[in-house]
Amino acid sequence: MLRLTRLLGNASDATIGESLHRIEHAGGLEIITLKRSDTARKRLHAFTDRGTEIGVMLDRSEQLANGAVLLLEDARAIVVRLDEPQWLGLAPADAAAALELGYFCGNMHWKVRFVGEYLHISMEGPREDYLHRLQHLIDARRISVLGDG
Amino acid sequence: MNDIAAGLRPAVQSSRPKTAARVGIGGPVGSGKTALLEQLIPRFLRRGTDLAVITNDIATKEDAERVRRSGLIAPERVLAVETGACPHSAIREDPTLNMQSADELDRRYPGLELILIESGGDNLASSFSLDLVDHWLFVIDVAGGDDIPRKRGLGVMSCDLLVINKTDLAPYVRCDLPRMVREANEVRGARPVLLTNCQTGEGVDAIVDHIAREVLFDR
Repeated sequence: MLRLTRLLGNASDATIGESLHRIEHAGGLEIITLKRSDTARKRLHAFTDRGTEIGVMLDRSEQLANGAVLLLEDARAIVVRLDEPQWLGLAPADAAAALELGYFCGNMHWKVRFVGEYLHISMEGPREDYLHRLQHLIDARRISVLGDG
Repeated sequence: MNDIAAGLRPAVQSSRPKTAARVGIGGPVGSGKTALLEQLIPRFLRRGTDLAVITNDIATKEDAERVRRSGLIAPERVLAVETGACPHSAIREDPTLNMQSADELDRRYPGLELILIESGGDNLASSFSLDLVDHWLFVIDVAGGDDIPRKRGLGVMSCDLLVINKTDLAPYVRCDLPRMVREANEVRGARPVLLTNCQTGEGVDAIVDHIAREVLFDR
């Protein structure tokens, strides 16, 4: 069993994300899929998608989250993924804004899906991180966030 | 990335959390939670687990006093929480008192590995907040009725481990134990169900193994 005792960061962090991208391409990325409710636990026995048995042992102050990185080595990483997809829905103001949004998401290598006139981003980290990256489009009223009134 | 990984790898592999694993034991009144606790304590101590206990009662410290007097564990390692109201409120809606007690035990005993938190006796809808515990057991018994599992109460459905206690009494209380176990497994899917007789200790070793495997990771 591999004991993992610290959160090293989140996949949405630019530097870590870059490393994970490279490790994933080299075939060294392992995923632990958790239910959202399980993220409150500080001790957790689980298996990665490649069958590695792990024991998560965190201090009380640490909090598991979607994208939490538990292991980061040169050629291997272990990342938490919540089992239910977390989607951020966006409504572009017009066709030009839709093009700009699509271009931006592609540039960010975000996974997206299209639902009618809306674009949904699959979040692999905290929602706030995505909103932060989209802030310039939100401020310019080029897009609005679905569910935010 | 190499710099990041090089800096982090030793900590990942060697560090140990400063706080103990927290395991809840809940269940209806009289199902045998304290009896299970009394069977678990010596087994964990024998395997070298650094242990402490928190008990919950509505208006007394009776369960804590029972465990302290048992001689199974140093009395100062047993803390009592008086819930003052429905026991589930202190383990689910507002577990602050229990969290503070567990924090106090962590402070008092550096190196503490496991805190067992026994809930006050409650009903089939009681459950533990995962803000309080990392893992929790729900104890029912055959004398409470062999229809308990199929009633799909929250405790039965959502606990990490369901314990059916007092198996020795099954013939005397018209309990169809095989059916009770079958229905428990049906409603819980792949999640485990274990049987015990906490008067004799039968079945308790499997619970120790379960807890060690799920939250201690020390073997």
